[in-house]
Amino acid sequence: MSGGDDLLAMGDGALASLAHGEAEVVISDTRSELTRFAGNQIHQSVAERFRHVRVRLIDGGRTGVGEVRGHDGRAIERAFAAAEDSRRVTSESAVSPLPAQTPGDVDEPVAFAEATAAATPQGRAELVAIITDAAGAHGINAYGALSTSTTTTAIVTSAGLRRSATSTQASLVSVARGDDGGGYASRHSPDIDTLDVPGLAAEVVDTCERNQGATAIGPGDYEVILSPYAVTDMLEHLAWGGFSALAVQEHRSFMRIGEKLMSDMITIRDDARTHEIFAFPFDDEGVSTRPVTLIDRGVCSAVVYDTPTALLDGVTSTGHSLPQPNTWGPLPRHVAMDAGSTPWQEMVGSVSRGLYITRFWYVRDVHPLRTVITGMTREGTFLIENGNITRPVKDLRFTQSIVEALANVVQVSRERRLELGEGESGVLSPWLHIGRFSFTS
Amino acid sequence: MRDLSERALDAASAAGASYADCRVINSTVQRLTVKNGVVASVELFEDEGIGIRVIADGSWGFAGVDDLSPASIEETARHAVRIAKASSRVNRTPVRMAPAPALVGEYRTSVGRDPFAVSLDDKVDLLMRTDEAMSHLAQIRVRECSLEFVREIRHFASSEGARLDQTIIESGGGMDATATSDDEVQTRSFPNSFGRHQVCSGWEAIEAFDLPGNAGRIAEEAAALLTAAQCPAGSMTVILDATQAALQVHESCGHPTELDRVLGHEAAYAGTSFLTPDLLGTFRYGSEQVTITADSTSAPGLGTFGWDDEGVAAQRSVLVDRGMFTGYLSSRETAAVIGQVSNGCMRADGWSRLPIIRMTNINLEAGTSSLEEMIATTEHGVYLETNRSWSIDDRRLNFQFGTQNGWEIVDGKRVRLVRNPIYSGQTPEFWGSCDAVAGPAEWQMFGVANCGKGQPSQLMHVGHGAAPCRFQNVRVEPAR
Repeated sequence: MSGGDDLLAMGDGALASLAHGEAEVVISDTRSELTRFAGNQIHQSVAERFRHVRVRLIDGGRTGVGEVRGHDGRAIERAFAAAEDSRRVTSESAVSPLPAQTPGDVDEPVAFAEATAAATPQGRAELVAIITDAAGAHGINAYGALSTSTTTTAIVTSAGLRRSATSTQASLVSVARGDDGGGYASRHSPDIDTLDVPGLAAEVVDTCERNQGATAIGPGDYEVILSPYAVTDMLEHLAWGGFSALAVQEHRSFMRIGEKLMSDMITIRDDARTHEIFAFPFDDEGVSTRPVTLIDRGVCSAVVYDTPTALLDGVTSTGHSLPQPNTWGPLPRHVAMDAGSTPWQEMVGSVSRGLYITRFWYVRDVHPLRTVITGMTREGTFLIENGNITRPVKDLRFTQSIVEALANVVQVSRERRLELGEGESGVLSPWLHIGRFSFTS
Repeated sequence: MRDLSERALDAASAAGASYADCRVINSTVQRLTVKNGVVASVELFEDEGIGIRVIADGSWGFAGVDDLSPASIEETARHAVRIAKASSRVNRTPVRMAPAPALVGEYRTSVGRDPFAVSLDDKVDLLMRTDEAMSHLAQIRVRECSLEFVREIRHFASSEGARLDQTIIESGGGMDATATSDDEVQTRSFPNSFGRHQVCSGWEAIEAFDLPGNAGRIAEEAAALLTAAQCPAGSMTVILDATQAALQVHESCGHPTELDRVLGHEAAYAGTSFLTPDLLGTFRYGSEQVTITADSTSAPGLGTFGWDDEGVAAQRSVLVDRGMFTGYLSSRETAAVIGQVSNGCMRADGWSRLPIIRMTNINLEAGTSSLEEMIATTEHGVYLETNRSWSIDDRRLNFQFGTQNGWEIVDGKRVRLVRNPIYSGQTPEFWGSCDAVAGPAEWQMFGVANCGKGQPSQLMHVGHGAAPCRFQNVRVEPAR
């Protein structure tokens, strides 16, 4: 893999031959490996290495994009040619300008760990063996995946912007299955050496063993304790559908700035600068990503912007752009819910009758404007009686408005976990005690 | 491409692989999007690389790289072998593959007009005309339409002697009209949701969609939904249009018949299946009306090809025969576990991904009824069009789907448009209640270009032939 300076130099070289107009060149080198296991054996283990070049050309009021994945020396040249073909046929319109570098821009903090960058198939197999051995010792089977990735990204523009960063990510998810039920656990970190693999193994085995022989319970409204795995799904759906300036501009978002829609206990932020959530210094336009308080003690506070949506509202970008141009709008990719003050086990102790939900599965929007989602519980749904988890119950389907659920929050845990949502963005989630949650079948 | 693959196979063998195969792939994708009267993006994407799969010390290893220099290919092959040997540290059961003939040949998607030979100007013009036709109603706040074209040139070679060359061409397009009011958002899509409808075909498919000719109707339907009555609630008759029937087949038959899911290979991610091997040939999956096939020869579905990604020839097999569960989607490795041979369903999302079991064209075979007859013989129910929401459990039993449009049916007639319909059920009970499937005249092939599975994530393009079909005693309600 090339370093950031090498990729910046390639971008500089490409821009040097730009005859007219403006251009943005994004070059990234990725090395990604993943070891997958099933039935206490490694059944798939893979590696990939590639370079991605993306060129955005702006000239004569038209924007074109060309992308090439390939390592040959002509990749940048081919991307420029494709971008020019594209630019030629796009509409003359209000072009979103290339952002300029500002004096305060620094290419840090960034989540990086040498141990992850140097991870080997042998090393991953040894870590997987900790889980499969633990499961085997209890007569159950473990399934899952351990991935490590390193990506160097460089952005250079004819407006003078030059940014680069190298980040790493290690991710471990596991399901354990017995004869009549399963458990789930996951851990994520920039640094593979800090993944608590024995802790994960103990958690997934424990949940699996407690979740055997579940009995059916009827649908209806229940008081619930949601683990961070489940809370992550809700936060991710709010981010996709609601926290984007474009969604507000297009009247598709639940966000009504200044209105109180959720409990006082709910504060949700996006913060790409904290090392708690895979820190990364800039967005896909090269703009520094600023912390944004999205929900402030239950009140809709702000949404995130990219350059096009910021121009429309007469503000500056918050640094949450996806590759431009796009029709999706900006996206918060470092969402965190503020912690509360109660240990999560005490939250369980305060429930007289309710459900403990380990995780959700296949969560989809039912009515985005009302933040109604549906999905199943999976691998660990337990009945709480008189403050104690008493027995496993069969998985249930829920159909529930996220905003209404967050309006009915009773407690927020003081502990939080870094999770990866379905979109593979980092989310920092607590346990939540919610007074009423609707299960439909 | 052949030189590259021979070098990869030789290097893998020299490093200790007992079996190796590789895929050299060159792909080109064009995507054009018009949004609210402006060409929002024209993206041209080129991709080239090699993926090398090996068995060493009884375990699989896979490595892919976009650097096609001789040194890079040889090192990537050696790395695949290193990965396999590392995996053998946590592997009790050596990989065993069912036999398959080592084939040699060429395949090319049949196209009338190469979509890459059509000018970008003509493509933009089509989208601008489509957008304009959606633009006449004040309630329509967001108009978006798009085209996508794919050309993938694949060369497959294996250490068993297979040498296969394929060129796959895809053409896709679609539109969304989104209407808003103070308290409601409604979207209508055409020809399908998920952004577009896509098939293995040429430009003639796009012309057949007639996007501009349908745009005004789609906009009117989206606007009308803002003030339509909420969908009625209760247990009633449900008639699905062909697009929603295709989605129902995808989620509740396609995925649970994937043999890797059945054997637990996907247990930590996509899930498992209720269709366990002990049920094969004995389990009543649906009514006599229900026959579902896997057919990678049924052009122009997105699962149409010459050979799958481990060199097994395209073929048709029956998954559900007049309601009885009769077959799986399989690979050489998984077929061996149940004493069968592969029916050719190993597919990979490009050169950088390991082939895994994927749907090909999973088709609900045509029946003998018609939409008109189904409506005319329904006392009370809903006719549901175009998927909006989809969720199903990890064993593929408990589902809840929503559609964009609904029509309430009373005494054999469509009486009113209804909004926000959702329906739910359990897979065998639902298909068991199917009492009519429309005939060949209303049977269409649809494409799903966003089927997610595997770790690392793979998106696959799959096809579904389907026709309108009717179900009894289904739970229906509005999404509030």
